Amino acid sequence: MKPELYEVWGDTVDPRHLLYSIGIGAVVSLGTFFTAQYVLLGWVESAQMARAYAMLVGILGCLGGGALSASLFKPKRHVVVHQVDPAWRGQALIDLQNEFGDLGRLADLPPQTIAELREMDLYDLFVDYEKGLAAPASTTAPDGLRAEGGRS
Amino acid sequence: MIEPLMDQILIALGMGILGAVVFAAIGLISGSDETTTLAPLTLLVVLLGVPAPGVLTFFLAGAVAKHMTHAVPTALLGIPGDTLATPLMREANLLRNLGVPHIALRKMLSGAVIAALIAVPMAVLFAVMLAPFGDTIKRTAPWIFLAAAVAIAWFSKGRLAAVLALIPFVLIILGLQALTAQHGVKLTVSYFLGIAIGPLIAALFAMLAPAERASMRRSEVRTFSLSPDVKSSGGFFPNPFKVLDPQQSRWTAITAVISSATFVFSPVAMTVIMGEMVGARIKHVYHRLTTVLTARNGVTESTYIAEALIPLIAFGLPLSPVAAGPAAPLFNAPPRFTVDSATGEVHNLHTLLTTWEFFGYGMLAVIVAILIAYPFTMNYAYRAASWVSRKISHEAVIATFVGLILVIGIWEGGLLGLLVIVTVGLLGGFLSRFLGFNIGVQFMGYYTAVLSVPAMIALMGG
Repeated sequence: MKPELYEVWGDTVDPRHLLYSIGIGAVVSLGTFFTAQYVLLGWVESAQMARAYAMLVGILGCLGGGALSASLFKPKRHVVVHQVDPAWRGQALIDLQNEFGDLGRLADLPPQTIAELREMDLYDLFVDYEKGLAAPASTTAPDGLRAEGGRS
Repeated sequence: MIEPLMDQILIALGMGILGAVVFAAIGLISGSDETTTLAPLTLLVVLLGVPAPGVLTFFLAGAVAKHMTHAVPTALLGIPGDTLATPLMREANLLRNLGVPHIALRKMLSGAVIAALIAVPMAVLFAVMLAPFGDTIKRTAPWIFLAAAVAIAWFSKGRLAAVLALIPFVLIILGLQALTAQHGVKLTVSYFLGIAIGPLIAALFAMLAPAERASMRRSEVRTFSLSPDVKSSGGFFPNPFKVLDPQQSRWTAITAVISSATFVFSPVAMTVIMGEMVGARIKHVYHRLTTVLTARNGVTESTYIAEALIPLIAFGLPLSPVAAGPAAPLFNAPPRFTVDSATGEVHNLHTLLTTWEFFGYGMLAVIVAILIAYPFTMNYAYRAASWVSRKISHEAVIATFVGLILVIGIWEGGLLGLLVIVTVGLLGGFLSRFLGFNIGVQFMGYYTAVLSVPAMIALMGG
């Protein structure tokens, strides 16, 4: 049977595992806190300091409870290593164009950024994009005008 | 004379290293909100009696380190590392789609380094300029808090709804205070934690209600596509000025200075606005994406540093969204640090450290955080992201926070403390979810209840 899944606080959980984890977290954290308080009240002179140290131990207990839950219950995530396909880069460029309109000219870039693009194998992608734009030149004329009067 | 100073510096160094290591690790966990994590741990450090310089370096090094490692889930997994990483998502995702997430990561980190180093001297400078008005501000503090609460509420997502919701929220806090006072219990931390962790408490309650539960149902686990590891040049500690081009370094510096000065605005808003400002001035899309990302992550650092340091140095009152939220324990952590409601008299880092000490320990904290978090993230980002997403279940994260609620609540006020956390958390969580009455507004609501309301009552009674 497929486990029930719910989205709680930004990620998916199995409600049974969540319930057990909360139980473990509660028992381990409070257990360490009360034990530490009991022991420390006998040891440390100032009761206030004893309680403050007990809280510190209790917080370590929280981490302990979390670690125990992490070892018992595996994440409900599907992690894939995502290798970008060169074909997708073309798609990414189209997405960018839809989002921003004109993508700008490589000629506007400082040499360092050009070198960076070459290193990432993105340079040719943008060159091809500009070649594609140059063909129907009339549509880009207003941009060309604006670029000339633009900032340095 | 020299020896006590050396002791102080060593303590500050040690606490800075501790803060940087702890929060570099927390930053890797996606969705670990700054306030939820920084406020309780800083409070703990304060209450354990760590000397003032150590408290400051712990907080600052933690905040700076977290805003570096939060770039790992943001760039490599496509999920925001924390609240301040949300404005970085769009650019990070577009660069991920282009197949260069490691560039996004390296730019973000380099921006963080440059901005953090600039923000400390800038914050001290602005604080010194504002300090002459400190006394006036302290005297009128209750009214300033009231005005600030209304203003922060108005500029939240909820607008008028958030302003009006302040009234019932403040009333609830006053009611809870009266109730606990009857039993001789005075709570502070429980309110902070309840507010900070409200969204989790609200989500757990929602799970129990059948209709809400149905809407939270998912048929599939979430798929995270992790970007592959790419070995980059530059060695173990790449020079940030070489990772960035001169234009990017310049924009990072400019936005860091501007966002240090505007310490009363929300860090998220400043991150968005500064990014838009830079983006509008760069023509080529690739250059725009990388530069905006660099500047924005720089602003996540500079806002946190300036919004904590300026109110600390100039006023000693938590008069900024960061000071009211994640940095709150630096101002107010009774019995050790206190802000007197009637007189505006303060006893906290403001009175314990001089301006030069703030500058010195501030720089120390930033440098320690950079030395730890920058090379770690530059070199081990892929392995860290892979390990966290495969090994740390969300159930375990929730279990840890539930443990934190229980321990802190019971430690501070027994059963009453716990009930206050749950009450404030549930109310705040739902107000935030449905009205956009966010955590920053709720913290201001708390200060209105403890600072402004007594002054209002005195005015009416007198």
